[in-house]
Amino acid sequence: MTEGSTLIDVMENRAKRREERRGFFKIAAAGIAAAPVVLTMGGKPLNAQTAVTDADILNFALNLEYLEAQFYYFAFFGTGLPQSSLTGTGTQGNVIGGRKVNFTDPVVSQYAAEIAADERAHVDFLRGALGASAVAQPTIDISSDPNGSFSTAARAAGLIGAGQSFDPYANDENFLLGAFIFEDVGVTAYKGASPLITSKVFLEAAAGILAVEAYHAALVRTTLYRKGIQTPALITATERISDARDSLDGTADKDQGIANRDNASNIAPLDANGLAYSRSAGEVLNIVYLTSMARNQGGFFPNGVNGTIRTSAAN
Amino acid sequence: MSDTETNEKLMQVLEASEARRVERRAFLRSGSSAAFAAAGTGLLAGCFGGDDNNNNTPPPPPPPTTTVPPPPPPATGGITDGDILNFALNLEYLEAQFYAIAATGSYLPESLLGGTGTRGQVSGGRQVTFTDPLVAAYAREIAVDERQHVAFLRGAIGATAVAQPAIDISASATGAFSAAARAAGLIGAGQAFDPYANDENFLLGAYIFEDVGVTAYKGAAPLLTSKVFLEAAAGILAAEAYHAGLVRTVLYGKGIAAPALVDATEKISDARDSLDSPSDKDQGVRMRGDQSNIVPADSSGLAFSRSAGDVLNIVYLTAAAAQQGGFFPSGVNGTIRSSTAD
Repeated sequence: MTEGSTLIDVMENRAKRREERRGFFKIAAAGIAAAPVVLTMGGKPLNAQTAVTDADILNFALNLEYLEAQFYYFAFFGTGLPQSSLTGTGTQGNVIGGRKVNFTDPVVSQYAAEIAADERAHVDFLRGALGASAVAQPTIDISSDPNGSFSTAARAAGLIGAGQSFDPYANDENFLLGAFIFEDVGVTAYKGASPLITSKVFLEAAAGILAVEAYHAALVRTTLYRKGIQTPALITATERISDARDSLDGTADKDQGIANRDNASNIAPLDANGLAYSRSAGEVLNIVYLTSMARNQGGFFPNGVNGTIRTSAAN
Repeated sequence: MSDTETNEKLMQVLEASEARRVERRAFLRSGSSAAFAAAGTGLLAGCFGGDDNNNNTPPPPPPPTTTVPPPPPPATGGITDGDILNFALNLEYLEAQFYAIAATGSYLPESLLGGTGTRGQVSGGRQVTFTDPLVAAYAREIAVDERQHVAFLRGAIGATAVAQPAIDISASATGAFSAAARAAGLIGAGQAFDPYANDENFLLGAYIFEDVGVTAYKGAAPLLTSKVFLEAAAGILAAEAYHAGLVRTVLYGKGIAAPALVDATEKISDARDSLDSPSDKDQGVRMRGDQSNIVPADSSGLAFSRSAGDVLNIVYLTAAAAQQGGFFPSGVNGTIRSSTAD
């Protein structure tokens, strides 16, 4: 898919979503009897769900962990994960872009170091759990090129204009926004996958990773919120990135920035029951492929993810 | 799935979401939990009845709200989802009351406190006069979230939801917060720890609870039989981890200028570890090497788990097998109520 068509999709979809939601809310005024369906807000089921195994789900998660780990590794260390952590089934790819951030705030540097270690531990843990069936790292684009994934995402969010680039390695603030693009998505991905895992052992492990992703997300959101007092553009940026994610992944609102709600902060993006949102695998792929359409590749994964779960949802 | 089917499904979700808001507003206005609880119990009973394998199937429609819902089947040699959710509800009462009184100066409304078991009172607690407006905003956010967890669990459990037990969140020298702070070595004999005194004490009070909630929900996750409740519990788990991440990040940031705060998190963590079992399941926020430690995780990067008994060790403030103590002077309500003998 060309970048141009991706952006058109995003804009069209955003407008469509607002229109549809207005329609839905009108209809819903008479829909009180449907209330208990709240507990099914897990998003759409995976395609061919009956054929999905725990290994398929963990391999899907492993692709996402490769992406996160490489981003944080480059940002903190200036290098990627060791080759020994990248091999496996499917087509092994390289990392495009990524470099060390010259952090100004030592605390942000310490956060980057912590998250890098955690995400690498997730890669190694999942590879160990999957054994010989673990997928190889696919090709990953974490470049700051104007045609790269971060710039496309930032453009879709309206943070930069046509032809401009977004460089998540340029400074502390851009690094935090780059991290913001991923972290909440990881939480929703693990939550959406949790009821699909059959093994209690893997389920508890997945819950452990879900919790860690939520800690990371809170760290990033809390730091952006505090820096946003001096630099309100950061808070605006989180809302725009959130809207862009929402426009990609379907009509339901599953995302929130950190702007205040009702005189309170909004560090935790939750529904009216105080629950985190769920995303299906297809919806997660919409975001990392940066497309609202059914696709097998794009965005941060130019050749797609490895494994059996690889197609984004058609929204 | 075709676009039409997709839209149909999404519409159902959105309708349910909006309908829920409408219903919750009505529920809060009326102050009567009957209709809401009955619908929730219908759902719970449906899940107990249990085809958990096909989670494409929406839950059964709620029974008419005039019908008395059937009680969940009794435990047969094991704990039920209802037992687990009720255990969680006790913890949410504790958290919600602490944040509600600290952030707003008011407790939860009476309409959110009734149920089975012995209804108790909250002792202590008062509104914090925050210095840092950000901490005040955080307190208000978490207060809303925790109250929503109480309301959500009560609705999901329905008529068998437990009442709030007696809760001690006082700043008295003989109260639970002071006992916890003394166990951590933060204060000496006869001294009081007041989590409402200032921003820092409030954050440490919050710190005492938040990571425990994460480990409790993680430990309970594989015990839930209903996929619907599992996903909901995962949603609360994530929310608690967001809260814990928030509190730890703020303590870490303030700890740059006030290193005693970082020391305090390590001491509280050690105290929790000494109560709950021999294995190390807890970490403060102090730097490890060149890294912060916002996330308490094992060497695989996974959050820790606690059993219900381990969790009760911490909130009862005892390493022994007990039915009550600490933040729950009369024990929690429900079938899961004994701490572990460590």
